[in-house]
Amino acid sequence: MAENNTTSTNNDEILLDIEERLAGTLKPIRPSRDVVQRLRERIRFPARGEITVRLADWKRMFLVFGSVMSGLLVVITVARALFYLVGRRHM
Amino acid sequence: MQEIEFNEDDVLTLASQGDRDAFGLLYERYVDRIFNYVYYRTGNLHDAEDLTARVFQRAMNHIKTYTDRGVPFSAWLYRIAHNLVANWHRDRSRRQEIPLDDLPVLQTKGDHPERNLVHSQEQDALLKLIRRLPGERQNLLILKFVEDMSNAEIGQIMGRSEGAVKSLYHRTLLALRDQLGDQNINLDGE
Repeated sequence: MAENNTTSTNNDEILLDIEERLAGTLKPIRPSRDVVQRLRERIRFPARGEITVRLADWKRMFLVFGSVMSGLLVVITVARALFYLVGRRHM
Repeated sequence: MQEIEFNEDDVLTLASQGDRDAFGLLYERYVDRIFNYVYYRTGNLHDAEDLTARVFQRAMNHIKTYTDRGVPFSAWLYRIAHNLVANWHRDRSRRQEIPLDDLPVLQTKGDHPERNLVHSQEQDALLKLIRRLPGERQNLLILKFVEDMSNAEIGQIMGRSEGAVKSLYHRTLLALRDQLGDQNINLDGE
């Protein structure tokens, strides 16, 4: 019984020691003003990397391409219809 | 840096309506904390800076979808940071670059702030062990010691109960104790 208590106390001491060491190792870091300023500038405008990622997003590109093609098709259809109507009027 | 006093709910409302100045206030309040978190999870300044910028860019782009459901804005930000860091680790392991353990634990360049940290072999060894822990345990230790958060606050960020965080913390300490024992690292420095 006494042996168990001693082991438990030792264990607690070891864990407390680890906690102390963690507190001494994991300290808050303050980024320099330069870093904060650079980050602020990056946030105001999309970062270059972000734009590249967006371009690399093929799903989005497919959607954009599909939208453009559909739009063109509508424009061509309307134009053909207008030409047809105007042509009929002149006949 | 002096903390700017403002009502976070009001600022969040403005920011969600696209007010960049309001978002700037949130940025000022949280940039140090997010940078700290990302720095300890990545281990180098360059990636910490890049990922911190991405956290705030993503937050700004999605702030309209943020609704306060009992989860503080800070918890939402940390979750974004956590996801980006997880992706970063995944990409890194795919590219098979330098293993994290081989990186210098803390790089000191000129006036970079981390030079304030006391470098010692013992601390380096401990940091390396921390980085070998599963991601959620690393999160827990960083939030507890670097951010000085309570178990309840950590629970909100990690999506766990206060009791679960307490239990995870205890298991993490035990794991560290075992690993320190396996590697014969004497914490007393004797």
